Amino acid sequence: MKKFWIVCLTLLLALVLTACGENASQNDSENGDSQARGGSAPTEISILLSKPEIAKPFEETVKRFEEEHNVKVTVIPLAGQTPFEKMSSLYSSGNPPTIMMVSQEFDTFKGHFLDLTDQPWVEHVLPGMTDFVTVDGKIYGMPVTVEAFGFIYNKAVVEEAIGGAFVPSTVKTHQDLESLFKQLAALEGVEAIHVSPMDWSLGAHLTNPFFAAQSENREERHQFMQDLKDGNVSLADNKVFNGWLKTFDLMKEYNSEKHSPLGTNYDDGPLALAGGKVGLWFMGNWAYPQLQELDPDGEYGFIPVPVSDNPDDYGNSHISVGVPSYWVVDDSRSTPEQQEAALQFLNWLVLDETGQEYAVNKLNLIPVFDNFQIKPEDSLSLSIMEHMESGNTLEWMNSYYPADAWPSMGASLQKYLADHIDKDTLIAELELYWNSVK
Amino acid sequence: MYGERTLLERVKVFSLFAFIPLFAFTAVVMIPFSLGVVMTFTDWAGVSTSITFKGLENYQIAFSDPNFVASLFITLRYVLYTLVLTNVIAFGLALLVTSGMKGQNFFRMGFFTPNLIGGIILGFIWQFIFSRVIVYLGEVLNLQMFSSSWLADPQKAFWTLVIVGVWQSSGYMMLIYIAGLTGIPKSLLEAAEIDGASKWQQLIRIKVPLMITAFTISVFLTLQRSFVVYEVNLSLTNGGPFRSTELLSMHVYNEAFLYQNFGPGQAKAFILFLIVATIAIIQVRAMKKLEVEA
Repeated sequence: MKKFWIVCLTLLLALVLTACGENASQNDSENGDSQARGGSAPTEISILLSKPEIAKPFEETVKRFEEEHNVKVTVIPLAGQTPFEKMSSLYSSGNPPTIMMVSQEFDTFKGHFLDLTDQPWVEHVLPGMTDFVTVDGKIYGMPVTVEAFGFIYNKAVVEEAIGGAFVPSTVKTHQDLESLFKQLAALEGVEAIHVSPMDWSLGAHLTNPFFAAQSENREERHQFMQDLKDGNVSLADNKVFNGWLKTFDLMKEYNSEKHSPLGTNYDDGPLALAGGKVGLWFMGNWAYPQLQELDPDGEYGFIPVPVSDNPDDYGNSHISVGVPSYWVVDDSRSTPEQQEAALQFLNWLVLDETGQEYAVNKLNLIPVFDNFQIKPEDSLSLSIMEHMESGNTLEWMNSYYPADAWPSMGASLQKYLADHIDKDTLIAELELYWNSVK
Repeated sequence: MYGERTLLERVKVFSLFAFIPLFAFTAVVMIPFSLGVVMTFTDWAGVSTSITFKGLENYQIAFSDPNFVASLFITLRYVLYTLVLTNVIAFGLALLVTSGMKGQNFFRMGFFTPNLIGGIILGFIWQFIFSRVIVYLGEVLNLQMFSSSWLADPQKAFWTLVIVGVWQSSGYMMLIYIAGLTGIPKSLLEAAEIDGASKWQQLIRIKVPLMITAFTISVFLTLQRSFVVYEVNLSLTNGGPFRSTELLSMHVYNEAFLYQNFGPGQAKAFILFLIVATIAIIQVRAMKKLEVEA
């Protein structure tokens, strides 16, 4: 019994001390913050970067910015984590980054961000590009870039298959797509299309047209998603969904990996497309650096994912273009000086000539602003900008998916792709998921 | 030092030796753990400022999630197979490298090596083997079984996890068994030899009963490791194809951080803890009863 009391007492002591320790450390950090502001010592800010593929050029960009301003920047690159994971831990430890690159996390954390509505870059931003980060008419985020996905074609292979110049805008219907598939498959040693089986590619990107092509009217599209959640939509009777599924059936039929559709991974895609083994690959422009590495002189472009056999239908000449992430500035823990420096950096990226040059040429960002003198020059970016200029773009509805939508839909589509389930089960699984969303 | 009379003196002495580890344990294990348990009854998501008490709702959500139940069953299957295979193989290897054969030290080192490589790296190496090397061999040798990647089929992908798990931990368990084998008094075995006991009889009647402690430790370690395996699962199959090989640790992590359902995820983590703790305690107690004195 004595032993028991001894342990208890010591434990109590330990508890008290731990609690004290916690308080002490909190006080320290607060004092530290306020004392760190000296005369002309550089303001220290940190940036959470969620595009690991541009981490290296981003460091260079930041260095250049530091040369021109009295600011010291620490970059926190993410690899293999979502911003949500990192931000959860940083915010709960009371040490959030000054600038963050966020996408779907925006909703969860929106109470912590600085209002950017009166920033100078706002008047240059292209219409519709800040919808996602607008709350009660106030803008809380600056778009980083645009990305697009659709069928990427290898111009050389496709032109060999059709025996002439290829005009991408001629592919608008199921029929057009199927005849292109047939011509490609007829070539010696070439398959029509490589379908990457990753759940994010199928579940988040490929599914986008069937939501976005529902209606030209934004309200109606979003109402469709709401109706699906409420259980008021029968996918089996939905015209756009059936058209979209027919395209997926075509992809399945002409898939170069048909013998083992789930046995390939992301890296096989660039190898197949740039290596001339397939004519098409469903993916987005983030794959360009790899394509370029494998095939420096190759030309690539996008064709839409058709949803019907009528060339005039909405969605048949459109590719999905959207803003994958936004810069936001922390407003909960950062000092006014830090916020000032952060805003300075964001404006420098958009309004300053040097900043623009770094954004386009070093970071490969496609401008979302109308004041850029410098334009990207690679074939995929040009294809995107062409579609943007002619207004042939579909909204990224996947930004509005619940967090578990793409893994769930991706899993169902993988099963269907590998013939583990039939069409009716696929439809039932998709409906079951959306009805379960609160 | 040894003549403490009062309670205060005893506390002093006890604190002198045990205070620092106890303090560390409290700070990094006990407090976060209790906070975690409290979190399972709320809807707090790690960032929001408001906290509402939810009662047992998170547990209800957890148990009504078909993916969680599926994950639980597949984990139990995984634990069962890895537990049996690892310990049988490890014990076999231990007998092999203590039998006095040529080059046994080299083999001992070789079998242990997989343990020195991190799980993430292992997963990627084996992923390459399963999806490239074996497929290539299958094509060349025209073997139907190996002609497509094992990682693309739910059943086979499960077995890849078992294979890699067993391959990784057998070497480590082997070391524990070697320690157990060398701890058996030579005189006993010599006496058995003179009495005419066969090698097999010696193994079953003398070696195994005297090594129960080694079995207890190994089985406990394998149990606990298999239940919470994460990194090999992540780098080898990443839960695929279509979430069919998502073991519990991964399921819990994804639920909380990927699908952003903090409460249910935390509840699942606590359920996992309870399962592992219960099974481990039962196992250790049951095996303690088997121990004998020479």
